[in-house]
Order: sequence, then structure tokens, then C-alpha cells
Amino acid sequence: MLKIDHVFANAGEKEILKGLSLEVKPGEVHAIMGPNGAGKSTLGNLLAGMPYVEPQGGSVEYMGQDLLSLEPEERAAVGVFLAFQYPVEIPGVNNMYFLRTALNAQRKYRGEEPMDSAQFLRMVKQKIKDMNMRDDLLKRPVNVGFSGGEKKRNEVFQMGVLEPKLAILDETDSGLDIDALKIVADGVNQLRSPDRSFIIITHYQRLLDYIEPDFVHVLADGKIVKSGDKNLALELEEQGYGWLNN
Amino acid sequence: MVGLITDWLERVNKQTKDSISNMPSWLQAKRQAALVQMQMLNEPTRRLESWRYADLGRLLKAPSAFDSTNYGQQLNVIEGSDPVVIVVDEAGYMGMGDCPDWLEIRSLVDMHAEDWYDATFDQETVVNLANSLLLQTGGLIRIKATDKPVHIQLVYAFDELDEWRYVRNQFDLEAGANVSITEQHQSGRINAVNVYDLDSRVQLNRVQDIHLNSAEQFVSMNYFEVSKGVNVTNMNHHIGGSLQHHVHWVNFNGEGSKYKSGSINKSFDNNQITDIVNVNHNHKNNQSDITHRSIAKDKSQIYNNAKAQVAIGADQSEIEQDLKNILLSSDARIYSKPELEVYADEVIAAHGSTIGALDDTALFYLQSRGVDIEQAREIMIKSFEQEAQIC
Ligand SMILES: Nc1ncnc2c1ncn2[C@@H]1O[C@H](COP(=O)(O)OP(=O)(O)O)[C@@H](O)[C@H]1O
Ligand SMILES: [Mg+2]
Repeated sequence: MLKIDHVFANAGEKEILKGLSLEVKPGEVHAIMGPNGAGKSTLGNLLAGMPYVEPQGGSVEYMGQDLLSLEPEERAAVGVFLAFQYPVEIPGVNNMYFLRTALNAQRKYRGEEPMDSAQFLRMVKQKIKDMNMRDDLLKRPVNVGFSGGEKKRNEVFQMGVLEPKLAILDETDSGLDIDALKIVADGVNQLRSPDRSFIIITHYQRLLDYIEPDFVHVLADGKIVKSGDKNLALELEEQGYGWLNN
Repeated sequence: MVGLITDWLERVNKQTKDSISNMPSWLQAKRQAALVQMQMLNEPTRRLESWRYADLGRLLKAPSAFDSTNYGQQLNVIEGSDPVVIVVDEAGYMGMGDCPDWLEIRSLVDMHAEDWYDATFDQETVVNLANSLLLQTGGLIRIKATDKPVHIQLVYAFDELDEWRYVRNQFDLEAGANVSITEQHQSGRINAVNVYDLDSRVQLNRVQDIHLNSAEQFVSMNYFEVSKGVNVTNMNHHIGGSLQHHVHWVNFNGEGSKYKSGSINKSFDNNQITDIVNVNHNHKNNQSDITHRSIAKDKSQIYNNAKAQVAIGADQSEIEQDLKNILLSSDARIYSKPELEVYADEVIAAHGSTIGALDDTALFYLQSRGVDIEQAREIMIKSFEQEAQIC
């Protein structure tokens, strides 16, 4: 599904990713952990196509295509989704309109019929129920006046509606209390399927108690420096990242 | 030197004797006084405060592409009692249907001298003085208090759209009146003076929607004389046009009133838009809240500003001026610098002005959900505009 091969990338003027490689197969869940400033968000942003992040070398292949040559909206249409570490507020644009515009833009790109508002409403109402979200979410302007936790939950809700093939969650668990964490994890687990993959960037092991990863990687100084199974996350929890400096 | 005064004076000579002899003598005297004043004033230039960023020459040149099929805004008269439609044309006002008993409409020629609001103009407002000099149509619209809110739609309907039209609308709202007024413009070239004389406890909800094609021009001076316990919301849409120039004067003449205005200014191609709000807090305990959202594209330019003056002793005044601007191209220009002149001690004031581009992170957020960059920009512009949408 995704093959990142020796990728180098700058964020602004700074070289952040320094020869990072990672392969994700359909249905797999990969957790990425690592100290602050290691380049985790930069990796997510690179995959989603943030203009600020400039690839300098290496390649990223996604379902047989050169991912880095696609526009951000094209990446979305072919199934890439990034849950932002810092979701953006859009005053005056309600979630419902935002999501329908997004979904229909993706469908159009894929040559599918647009969803009319009745169909769409039925679909999102069901998702709201399935994902344990609050009804008023739809009427509210995108992320405006949302608490930190609500913003993160809204990202997961968007993911549920857009049904991506590769979802990247950037610290979606940060700032969540245990109930919100469960809702987020539930949302992810409901979407888990043999043809859908996840990259879960997290700081804490606790999310991985609820979303069981197939692989755990440590990203430090722009590279994957260690990979393992879910036990690696537990080790990191105990040891921290001090060992990286030795 | 553009020659505007010469042009206006020539127009006076060209106006037919008939059109003037219909006017009551007191009104002829007003025109005469304007003539005398005009002859003493200097040609307007960019040195005038409110004309700094507009090309006055455009007022003189007959716009080239006057194509009546090309008008941005079609007349949209809503029949029936709600709203009550008043049409203004060359001859004056025309009510559509029966006139309800809370409403009195007088065309200019039927107005009484004692009802006339004497606006004084000076060198700065010489272009608005031309309105008094060449005044053709308009009149008085008087509204009494009613049990339920009422709605009036004022519709402009002129032929020969390349001709300048000098229109004056005076709205007298009696104590306790509760009214929504929508001014709808089929434009061409309009020089308008609007007077809102608001008695105590009036609730006014005014909407001015000026959506012009690239040849049309609109100059307006708008007075709000605000008594005590009054509540005004004033929503302005200024979109396009060869030249739009709007000045709002708000005078708080009593206590406990609120004036809230929102402006959405959008220019493209070679449009020039000026939108200025002056609020005079002459008395205690009044609130003004001015929000502008302006967006300029291509080679267009916008000058928008808010100025508040708080007189000595006008304590407990509350002032908010929030002007935000977005440039969509490197050739577009926007100027805005809110001003506060405070001579009172206890005043709450907040003001700010920013000029920037659309937020890249927000655009990327939209794109990352599948929306292409063009549509993402449109959504972000809508989002930006709606902050000034006050009603
Ligand atoms: N928009 C940005 N502007 C300036 N520096 C940035 C920006 N984004 C990332 N960086 C820098 O890139 C480095 C990696 O950041 P990031 O990828 O966010 O790390 P992580 O998510 O692992 O904490 C940091 O040193 C950070 O300061
Ligand atoms: Mg990060």
C-alpha cells in the first residue's frame, strides 16, 4: 500500500527527514513514537502534501502511484487522510457543509456521482451514532469553539465519513481524557479492515492499549531508528528516549 | 485637474426649467445656496481625506461599456404587503399598492420645508454637495411605531443608466418604530444622500446591497441621527463597480443607543471602493461596533476605515472597530487604519486592522480533505466575509 524509501524532506529551511524508510501493507496498523521535534508531524504532513514540507530525495509510492507528485486534494481522493495534530478552525462554515463539500469533491475526482443532501444527512447521522459523537457537531462551524478533545474527535469523525484507505493520525490522543480516548480508539477500530491501513503517531503508550498496533517504530532525528511489535511501546514507556543519545 | 465642478455647473444649466419650476420655492432656495457654495469651493482632489485612494476622474468620464443587458443586479420587486415596496425613479417615489397607515411617503416636490434635514457640506464633501445642487428625485419616508416590526424595500428604477442620478432619501423614524429597510439598487451612476433620522427607542435594521458591474458608479453619503435608546444594525454589501464611495456619519444625540454596522467590500478587475464610517459619541453611554471585511483581487483597490470621536464627558462609551482585509493578488491594494479620538475619561475601546492573505494552513486543511485549491479559496473567502455579516 505505502512504501516510503529513503525520504529526505525539509520543513521550511530545516532538514527534518533524513533518509526515512517505512513500508505499510494493507490492513496494517503502524504506530510511530519518538521524542518531540523528531519529525513525526513532518512525516504526516509530507504524506498529506503540506506545501511547507519540501521533499528533497527518496520516494513515496502509494498504491502504485508516486504520491509526492499528487496535489493534496488528489491524495485525499485516492484515500489518504491526515488527522491534524492541530486541527484548523473555519468560522462560518459548518461541519456538515464542509464534509459534504469534501466528500463530493473526492467522489467527483474518482468519477462517482455526488451525494445529495438527503443521502448525505442519512449517512452522517448513522456515523454520528456509530461513533458516539454528539448531534450538534454537524451544525457547528468547523472546530470553532471546540475544546482540544472535541477537535480531535472531529478529526476522527471526518475520517469516519471520508473512509480513507490510509489514515495518518497525528497525536490524536494528546489532551484527551480516558473517555474521549476510548471514543477515538473505537472510531479507529470500527474502521479497521483488511484493505485499510493506519499510521498512528503518538507520544504515549496508552492509546495503544485500545488500538493494538501491528508494528511500533521509533522515529528520531528524521529516521526510523528502531522497529518492533507492540511490546516496544511498553519498553519505551518505561525507558523513555534517553537511550537514543547513547 | 479633473474639471468636476465645471461639469456640475454645466449640468445645472442643462437641467430643464420644467423640472426645477415644479419644485417648491424653499427647495429651489436650497439648490441656489448649494450653487453659491459650489462656486466658492475648489476642485476635489486626492488631498481630500475620503478621496485619497480613488480616481475622481472616473466620475467625469462616461463609462465606456454601458450595456443595460449587463447589469449585475436585476430589479426584484416583491409584490404584496411584506415588504412594502417603494420605487424611486426620475419622478419621485411610487408606492406599490395601498399605503399602510404607519407609512407616509412624500416625493421631493411634496416635501415641507420644515421636514427637510439640512446636511451641511464642505470642501471635503464637495462631491456630496453636488447632490444638493443637482437633486432630482427622492423625498421623505416617514414611519410610525407599529405593534409588529415592518419591512420596507426601496427600489431604484431609472432609465438611461449612463446618466448621473442625484437622489436623496430621508427616512424619518418616529419614536418606537421598528423597521427593516432594504435599499436595492439598480444602479448606473448614482449620487445619493441618505438620511436616517431616528427618534427615541427606534429599532432599525438597514441593508444596503450594492452590487455593480464594472462600468457602474455609486457615491453615497449616509447620515444616522440617533436619539436615545435606539438600536441600529446596518449591513452593507459593496461589490464591484468602476467606483463606489460610501461615507457613513453616525451622530449619537442622546444616551443608551447602539449602532452596529457590518461591511463586506469585494473588489476585482479595476474596481475602486471606498467605505468610511465616522461615529460621533457626543453623549454618554452609547455603543458603536463596526466590522469590515474587505477582499481585493486583480488590480482593484479598497479604502475602508472607521473613525470614532468621543466628546468630553461622553463617558461609558463603548467602541469597537474591527477591520480585516485580504489581498488576493499582488497588484491589489487595500488601505485601512481605524482611528479613535477620545476626549472622555471612562471609555471602553478596542480597535484593530489587519491586511493579509488567505491562511495557508486553513487552505491546506481543506485540500487535505479533498477540496481543490480554487474551491478552498472560495470557502475561506466566505468564511472571512461572514464575520461582518451582522444580520
Ligand atoms: N511550520 C514549521 N515552522 C518551523 N519549523 C517547523 C515547522 N514544522 C516543523 N518544524 C520544525 O521541524 C522539526 C520537527 O518538527 P515535527 O515534525 O513537528 O516534530 P514532532 O512532530 O516529531 O514533534 C522541529 O524542530 C520543528 O521546530
Ligand atoms: Mg508533532
